[in-house]
Amino acid sequence: MDKNYDLPIDAALFPEGCTRCSLSKFLVWIAAVMAVFGWGLYAAFRVLSEGLGVTGLDDYFGFGLWITFDLAVIALGAGAFFTGLLRYILNIDPLKNIINLTVIVGFLCYSGAMLVLVLDIGQPLRAWFGYWHANVHSMLTEVIFCITCYCLVLIIEYVPLILEQKQLNRNKLVHAIAHNFHLMMPLFAGIGAFLSTFHQGSLGGMYGVLFARPYIARDGFFIWPWTFFLYVLSAVGSGPVFTVLVCTIMEKMSGKRLVTWEIKSLMGKIAGTMLTVYMVFKLADTWAWANDILPRSGLTFDQLFYGWIYGKWLLWAELFACGVLPAIILITPSLRNNRTLFYTAAILDCIGVTINRYVMTVQALAAPVMPFDSWETYAPNWAEWGASAMIMAYAALILSLSYRYLPVFPQEVKLNK
Amino acid sequence: MSSFKEFKIKWGMAIDLDKCTGCGACMVACQAENNIAPQPDASNKLKSLNWLVVYELTNGKPFPEHEVAYLPRPCMQCGKPSCVSVCPVIATEKNEEGGIVSQIYPRCIGCRYCMASCPYHARYFNWFDPIWPEGMDKTLTPDVSVRPRGVVEKCSFCHHRFMQAKDKARVEGRDPNALNDGDYITSCTEACPNGAIVFGDVNNPAHKVHELVKSKYAFRLLERLGTDPQVYYVSRREWVRRLGDNYLENEKVKG
Amino acid sequence: MALDRRGFLKFIGGATAGILATPVVWKSLDDVSIWSQNWSWIPRNIDGANSYVPTVSKLCPSGVGVRVRLVDGRPVRVLTNNDHPLGGGLSSIAAAEVQLLYSPSRMKRPLKRTADGAYVGITWEEAETMLVEGLKKAKGGDKLAVVSGDETGTINELFTALAAEMGSKSCFLMPGEAQPAAKAWELMGGEGQVGYDIEKSDYVLAIGANVLETWGPVIRNRHAFRVGRPHGEAPAVRFAYAGPVQNNTASTADVWLAIRPGTEAVLALGLANLLIKAGAASPAADFAEFRALAARFTPEQVAAQTGVDAKRLAAVAQELAKAKRPLVIAGSEFGQGGGAAPVLAGLALNSLLGSMNREGGIRALPYARKVVPAAMDRKALLQNDLVAWLGKVASGKAAAPQAVVFYEANPVYALPQADAVKATLAMACDLVLPVPMGLERFDDVDTPYGCGQVVYALAVPALAPLVDARPAGDVVIGIAKKLGADLGVAAFADALKAKAEARGASFTEPSATNAHVSGAVLPVNGIALRPDVLSKAIDVKAPAFPVALAPVAKLNVGTSMTATPPFNTKTVRRWEIQGKELYVMMNGATAAKLGLRKHDRIELSNPAGKFTVRVNVFEGVMNDTVAVPAGHGHTAFDEFSKGKGENVMRLLAAGAEPGTGLSVWTSAGVNIAKA
Repeated sequence: MDKNYDLPIDAALFPEGCTRCSLSKFLVWIAAVMAVFGWGLYAAFRVLSEGLGVTGLDDYFGFGLWITFDLAVIALGAGAFFTGLLRYILNIDPLKNIINLTVIVGFLCYSGAMLVLVLDIGQPLRAWFGYWHANVHSMLTEVIFCITCYCLVLIIEYVPLILEQKQLNRNKLVHAIAHNFHLMMPLFAGIGAFLSTFHQGSLGGMYGVLFARPYIARDGFFIWPWTFFLYVLSAVGSGPVFTVLVCTIMEKMSGKRLVTWEIKSLMGKIAGTMLTVYMVFKLADTWAWANDILPRSGLTFDQLFYGWIYGKWLLWAELFACGVLPAIILITPSLRNNRTLFYTAAILDCIGVTINRYVMTVQALAAPVMPFDSWETYAPNWAEWGASAMIMAYAALILSLSYRYLPVFPQEVKLNK
Repeated sequence: MSSFKEFKIKWGMAIDLDKCTGCGACMVACQAENNIAPQPDASNKLKSLNWLVVYELTNGKPFPEHEVAYLPRPCMQCGKPSCVSVCPVIATEKNEEGGIVSQIYPRCIGCRYCMASCPYHARYFNWFDPIWPEGMDKTLTPDVSVRPRGVVEKCSFCHHRFMQAKDKARVEGRDPNALNDGDYITSCTEACPNGAIVFGDVNNPAHKVHELVKSKYAFRLLERLGTDPQVYYVSRREWVRRLGDNYLENEKVKG
Repeated sequence: MALDRRGFLKFIGGATAGILATPVVWKSLDDVSIWSQNWSWIPRNIDGANSYVPTVSKLCPSGVGVRVRLVDGRPVRVLTNNDHPLGGGLSSIAAAEVQLLYSPSRMKRPLKRTADGAYVGITWEEAETMLVEGLKKAKGGDKLAVVSGDETGTINELFTALAAEMGSKSCFLMPGEAQPAAKAWELMGGEGQVGYDIEKSDYVLAIGANVLETWGPVIRNRHAFRVGRPHGEAPAVRFAYAGPVQNNTASTADVWLAIRPGTEAVLALGLANLLIKAGAASPAADFAEFRALAARFTPEQVAAQTGVDAKRLAAVAQELAKAKRPLVIAGSEFGQGGGAAPVLAGLALNSLLGSMNREGGIRALPYARKVVPAAMDRKALLQNDLVAWLGKVASGKAAAPQAVVFYEANPVYALPQADAVKATLAMACDLVLPVPMGLERFDDVDTPYGCGQVVYALAVPALAPLVDARPAGDVVIGIAKKLGADLGVAAFADALKAKAEARGASFTEPSATNAHVSGAVLPVNGIALRPDVLSKAIDVKAPAFPVALAPVAKLNVGTSMTATPPFNTKTVRRWEIQGKELYVMMNGATAAKLGLRKHDRIELSNPAGKFTVRVNVFEGVMNDTVAVPAGHGHTAFDEFSKGKGENVMRLLAAGAEPGTGLSVWTSAGVNIAKA
């Protein structure tokens, strides 16, 4: 076979018919990613060797940046299960063009969250006690079960994509395995959808059940507080557009078109629809909270906000600028198909759900409950930022490798002819 | 949420806030009794581990109408603890006669969900390994195990003293489930020179605390949230009682 | 047998399955819970048999009676001793006393100062030789001075006897409440030591004296408070407090009379005036003169001078008049430097209330007789004024001593104008000798000032000294012998035994307290109110500073001798120390007047000294007054206290009380500037 010396050295590993940048350029990028990763690794090492005291967490803020980060990425990673559900169970066929990316993003979000959780718990060696000594009454047990199981599902969904790598796939056995995995995909998509719905809900439920914390306490249906349902809805209302944003960033970085606008718009429509449903309930929930739960607890709406750092602007931003507004844009075809508005809405949507996870984690703990207690403030320190950056670097690394060597985007060849 | 057990014996406190001067002897006695490590810098109160903390209460009025009170805050040993049901690994339970909320250190994974659930800030995390100045670890009592970093801990009502009192009763041929008033008291109760803390079985009419919690001046912290604490406070001062719970502007103070 | 690849994989697979089928893996996994709890660096607790030693705290100024719990001979806890006459609870220092045995700042052997100022360890033999040599040079004519930080121990008799043998009378106690009280009582013609029978009183008015935190036998006082105030009931004993800060005593008192610092005597005279107007009288011969003096202190006058609310003052006067067994206790709000005037005025009030020599009132308690023949007795020792003497030395009016012996005293930290003290004494001891800590030695507490009864409590060692320390008493006896003097006692233990006998106590039987209470009181006859002295003494010039200074004393931060015990850093309030910075308190109106807000950094300064602190707005402070927590700003000791906060003593300068000549430093003021 003639070698084309103009191609990158590792061209033989590229997906069929795709071009990639030179290996040296790629390695420079990877080196930058690894530098960030190294910083995070150092933070992780300090945390594991010395204790969580090196973080900015304290006895008032037992949860901080890491939990916010986990909740946010898990919500944003919901594109995986929801797209899978629509693609495989409801047979919305065009989604096959972005399903691989949703799986990878989902996998990264979940595995990343689990890595952070290992740092975040004080006794990582006992992490598996959640199975061994499970307390069935705890929402967190449900979260531990579902997240770990769903992460396995995502690995199973990711594996065939890896096996489809051009060189690997030449092996007959690998090819057969990959093919069979594909046939089973609807089953896993179903399991994934079930698990994911539950733990998205349980994450919300975790907060809603804290009946002695009026900022987050919620009534609910049977054993599930309203936050259970709100978390599911907000996740599916933002996850799909997050995948689109990731895709667009990859397009910008690679200089190629990877997915057609129609697919992106479809994802936006799906997210927008769910976001609209979510916002209806979220507004109702906020109203009920302010007019029922708070007075019942002897508190007023104003008492739950403090200064600039935990001010009402966060709530208004979450509800309107990053909730109602993107919902309107995404469900209105004419607005949605304006690309600037579309991306703005997508970004606002993701910010909105992040604010939601942040205030429910941090502001909830900052708000004093005992009348003689005081508002306290929390700022994450370098160790927490570092470890979070490590996860981002890890995600960038996996995405880069996947893009370079795996057939992630079925439309790529056609779109870049 | 799971349902909660009712107990025949309910260890509780009646803390008279009109008697507490805020001297801190209880906090020191608690640390010494429960093998809590000292901290060279404890000025960050959000990272100072002390099972019992004395809060400062103010009537909010300017000088000279100002009044101050001090409120010692142990674990409330809630009847309906918000922390127990949330623990994913059953490291904290309320299932022993007496109603003390346990904390099982070797089981705790350090997720701190219980801390997030507790509005009283009664739970503390070991951010670092405990360190005693050289030789001072010889003063550790044999009664309470030392906690490593990474686990949550909290006031246990000096549970070891409960066990010792029951053992003593058994040896003396008495019913360990019918301890006399004073057979079992916590370290803080014992240390307070002002006698601000009265400890005993709230359900037992022979115990002084049984009557005290019925006082019209008795209240519990954040009662309306439904945690059902076993720690009661007593104050003849209305403003102090009003600080025991959140009240809307026009709501009347209990008691 | 050849092992091919397939066979190898089979073997691995089989072995894995086999191991998983055994409990080994599962058991060791589960054991994680155990070994992740027991890392080698986590201290282990050691079991053993319990024993208890009843003793009395020599560390805590309250002289609290305690029980030490030992496990196989290791002390682990200081516990409450409810049977002890000075017990009934713990102070926040005494509760930490066992741990202080292992304080990082504890001296482990005798130390000698070398030419370059560093301290090096030496043997006791070398140390004693040095001491003898040093003392020889100081023989004759007040060339030796002794400063003791122990107000209640028989140890002082040995030190003063040694000084007497050396021809010196320069023996001093560190300043406290006992000296001004002794002076006042002497001026009034009283005998023995003033006692306050709080236990039997039904109305206690504390003027300045922080009776529930630092003043007198605090734990005994607080036990009386406990008994008089059943939970949730109307108190059987009412407490009123007058002082510039809503301190620990004021927080639980039924009434707080806010007054300017150093105006205690004026407040007392104002109350006397109201009582006299309401018909109160004293049998004292100089009552007429006293009445004339008191008449000058009309409510308006008192309000102007002290800042007190006239209505509240009148209410307290009425309550005092109505009470069956009222008791007035006057002193300094931070336990020193108050002068005789407040005590004189306070005792005069007691006389007007008929509280002299009455249950629940003032008692005259006999001093114990000396047991070391050449010693100064307590009465004589209390007459010496350390601060005044240092002033004279500094100004050349008294000869500088050749040698000074400090026993459990830290004058460079604890005296007013600490900086000047250091210069005067060219401080930095040449020789530092470790004594056993209170829990490691025999010692005694004889009727602390303020106690309403004669109480003699023996300190019994709970363990042998953990370091190379020697009991001070025995060292003094040995040194005296080497100097050719016979102090008349062979061992310190003999002196204690003799003192116990002198108090009518015998400790031959095992006891739950090792303490003895005596009902002995002296008659109180022919007491004079001394308006002549009072009228002069209250004429202290008001400080010419924009803001008055009110030091606030609390026991939780330890003493000048211990600094803050390791456990106690957590008891320091949040807005008292942050990191290394001290917070001072002022009320909102004062802060607004000075243009200050909470957390502002300010400089407090006056001619005595200056330092930078931060502002905490606390409404329980008198107007135009800054309240400064005392007991911080150590430059020595360990990581638990060194370099944290500022030492308020640096802002206090002593003056002389007109009429009595006593050193006073309760009327200080400061300038405040944003820093």
